[in-house]
Amino acid sequence: MKEQVVCKTTDIQPGEMMESYFGKQNVLICRTPDGEFYAFMNQCNHQGAPLHRGMICGATTDQSEPGEYHYCHKGEILRCPWHGREFDIKNEGRMLANPDKKIPSFNIRIEDEKVIVYK
Amino acid sequence: MPKQIPLVDTDIHERVQYQELLEYLDEPFKHYIQNCHWIQEKHMPYTQPSVAGVDRADAVIPDGRPAGSDLAFMQEQLLDDIGHEFGILTGALDPSPSSMHGWHEMAVALASAYNDWQIDKWLDKDERLYGSVHVAAQDRDEAVKEIERVGTHPKMVQVLLPIDDIMWGDPYYHPIFEAAEKHNLMIGMHHNEPPVYYGKWPRYFIEWHTLIPTAHMKQVTNMIFNGVFEKFPNLGMIMIEGGFTFIPHMMWKMDQQYRDLRHEVPWLKRKPSDVMKEHVRFCTQPSEELNKKDFMSLIEQMGTDEMICFATDYPHWDYDSPHRALPNLDPKLKKKIYFENAKNFYPKIPDTKER
Ligand code: FES
Repeated sequence: MKEQVVCKTTDIQPGEMMESYFGKQNVLICRTPDGEFYAFMNQCNHQGAPLHRGMICGATTDQSEPGEYHYCHKGEILRCPWHGREFDIKNEGRMLANPDKKIPSFNIRIEDEKVIVYK
Repeated sequence: MPKQIPLVDTDIHERVQYQELLEYLDEPFKHYIQNCHWIQEKHMPYTQPSVAGVDRADAVIPDGRPAGSDLAFMQEQLLDDIGHEFGILTGALDPSPSSMHGWHEMAVALASAYNDWQIDKWLDKDERLYGSVHVAAQDRDEAVKEIERVGTHPKMVQVLLPIDDIMWGDPYYHPIFEAAEKHNLMIGMHHNEPPVYYGKWPRYFIEWHTLIPTAHMKQVTNMIFNGVFEKFPNLGMIMIEGGFTFIPHMMWKMDQQYRDLRHEVPWLKRKPSDVMKEHVRFCTQPSEELNKKDFMSLIEQMGTDEMICFATDYPHWDYDSPHRALPNLDPKLKKKIYFENAKNFYPKIPDTKER
């Protein structure tokens, strides 16, 4: 089993993200407001943008009626720096506009202060 | 895009910050920027609902200046990274002198200042970059003078006309085309803020952005039926940032209309689709996600693979990556779309850059 410390828990505040490396693989470590950590491939599945240059934000929900905005999932949505596609961090990195597509993810666990990605 | 295929990128947006124009502006116009905080008029109710507005969020200059405003950063992030052979600068439409509704004297001064800045800071500094002559086309005669003044620069390849609310095929503007043709310049048309909803703006940006191709279609129709390409047989026009999937529809529609209603436009001597094939080019960006089969079927419907030219639109948010935006095409076709079509279109672009 391959595993690697990619950062420390204190490196990322809730609602933030950073890039790191898992071997040669450029990865994106996201931390949601509940304190959980997630690891994805740091490359958008559309045209390959570096996702760490995008933003973590909320969603304007899929429950909305025409003309209504309900801002929700704050800190749980990753938006690409180029075309702005939205990916749900807590739902396997699935794309909001097309949940069949997702950003490939990696296993992650925390030991003491270490954030470890493993296969 | 494999490395061995050279690229002419037909849409790169360099951006000026108004303060940089001061050294190229005379009074009284300088004062209006320096002390009176003049900014280009804007009309739309929304911004671009992306991560960082009009630009790629990762294209902001590290020192905080806006995307597209620094040559060294553009070289690093785009030209060197992708390996461009050539790139055509198309401005950031801010300022966009031809879009101003009035105060044409200021527009004329801005166009000249912008051209001088562009030559100085970009065209003379990177051999790969070619430029667009900015004009204040509402003042036709001043626009012609500006084309005469800077159009002879070896790296100016086109005259830029924004798509807003003026239809450029009107005979009033023909002297601009005459001057462009005289200097081997093509016409580049790029939308600024066309009111695509019956002269107004839709509720949502997503509607406006979806309908941009309609603004491009209007200009192509207008230029062709007004006989611009009959009158100026060596003139070409490239439609920048409107995409290309509407081309077959336009060809069929205009040809059918021509067969029925030629009586009204007797100066048009050829089928509109033939005029398009010979004179009009379209940038691929922003490309829809087509698979190879659909892409090839479109090419077949156009009846030519020489009308479309690749563009990135760097540094805008709807940037198309040369590696990922189009399906994996056969090498010969790829070479046409990424390089030859644009190269053959612009008479002033050399075969390869001097090394
Ligand atoms: S590259 Fe991420 S949305 Fe297009």
